[in-house]
Amino acid sequence: MAEETDEAIALRVQAGDGEAFGELIERYQAKLSRYAHKFLLDPDDAADIVQDIFIKSYQNIQSFDATRRFSPWIYRIAHNEFVNALKKRQSRGTVFTIDFDTLFPHLTAPDTADSAAIERDTRASLDRYLDKVSPKYREPLVLYYLEEMDYKEISEILQIPVSTVGVRLARGRAALFKIAGPQPLYE
Amino acid sequence: MNDDTRQQNTEKTPAIRRSVMDAIVKGRVTMRPRWHFILISALVAVGALFVLLSLFYMVSLSVFFLHDSGAWLIPSFGGRGWFSFLRSIPWLLVFLIVVFAVLLEVLVRRYAFVYRKSLLLSAAIIVVIIFLGGFLIAATPFHRQMAFYADHNELPPPLAFVYGASFRAPPPPDVYHGIILATTTGGFIIVDQNGAGTTTVRINDRTRLPDGVDFSVGTNVVVVGDRVGSSTVQAFGVRESDE
Repeated sequence: MAEETDEAIALRVQAGDGEAFGELIERYQAKLSRYAHKFLLDPDDAADIVQDIFIKSYQNIQSFDATRRFSPWIYRIAHNEFVNALKKRQSRGTVFTIDFDTLFPHLTAPDTADSAAIERDTRASLDRYLDKVSPKYREPLVLYYLEEMDYKEISEILQIPVSTVGVRLARGRAALFKIAGPQPLYE
Repeated sequence: MNDDTRQQNTEKTPAIRRSVMDAIVKGRVTMRPRWHFILISALVAVGALFVLLSLFYMVSLSVFFLHDSGAWLIPSFGGRGWFSFLRSIPWLLVFLIVVFAVLLEVLVRRYAFVYRKSLLLSAAIIVVIIFLGGFLIAATPFHRQMAFYADHNELPPPLAFVYGASFRAPPPPDVYHGIILATTTGGFIIVDQNGAGTTTVRINDRTRLPDGVDFSVGTNVVVVGDRVGSSTVQAFGVRESDE
């Protein structure tokens, strides 16, 4: 028998089956914890933040449209919580001020023969250098390479144009490679 | 982060489910009802619609003021015309239009069909829509009618205030808008649109006149020129107005 989808479970929760929410926690706990650790760079309060994400998800689950996918919805809540956590950490200003990446339309570059090699190099350098990339570019890298979301899902989570997702990923990769320098990324 | 902290976080992880489910079961965490979200969505949609309609109104009002003062036609007189035109723009309204347009962008940015577009593109689409709507309303007799009622004190105070002098830019000192009352050997006499006063307009061979227009009695005209007497103007240019 096919496994019940996240959306079907969310529907049951919406209908009043609070226990079903436990299944959603089970499915997303590890993913959101990894997202928190990678994006917020192993914060001391990662578990508390993830717990808050689940509490907010439960409180707001009636706003979830079950005709759409559940994962971008819960990741959007996570994104908001993480951005708030980063804002609290920073002593001044906001994390993302005027975002020039979303100002102008961008063309998304088509995949080339080099894409696979670039992807392999990026994945190899993520573990070592991700913490040195700014949060703005770190987050799409985490969502794309670690959470394995596609551009459209990342666009929904960050609420930015799909083309901007491409731009941020390209800049994030460039930042990684610049930090990694000329040495081989993996032996 | 040190190894101890990482260890603590790892230990906390299984506790998350237990802790959240415990809060749910004991009623410490409750689900917000669906109507709460429907209400918020409806309020945002109504707010966005109100802001959009306000923008239509303000853009059309600005166009009406420019038509009414005759400033709409004067850029065709070149640099001097443009200078007078810029002085005739109701800048307070323009400021409000910019503020409301930003507010509209903020309100609609939550919708996927907006945030999937670049900020510049969505802003350009909003500008095109509000200008199209504004010009469409300006093409109707709505504002002319309202201004007429305001002139006859038949509008309630807030609307009378809008159509009064508060939002209009002060008329540029070198622009005269009126109807030809009589022709003279060297020009014509115009009566202003309110019928409050007359101005004698002198025309010479340097006056910029449109080709093929016969300035006869009853023609509505806009004149740009320098005052040479208490009620006489030496015309720099004259245009026929359709207002």
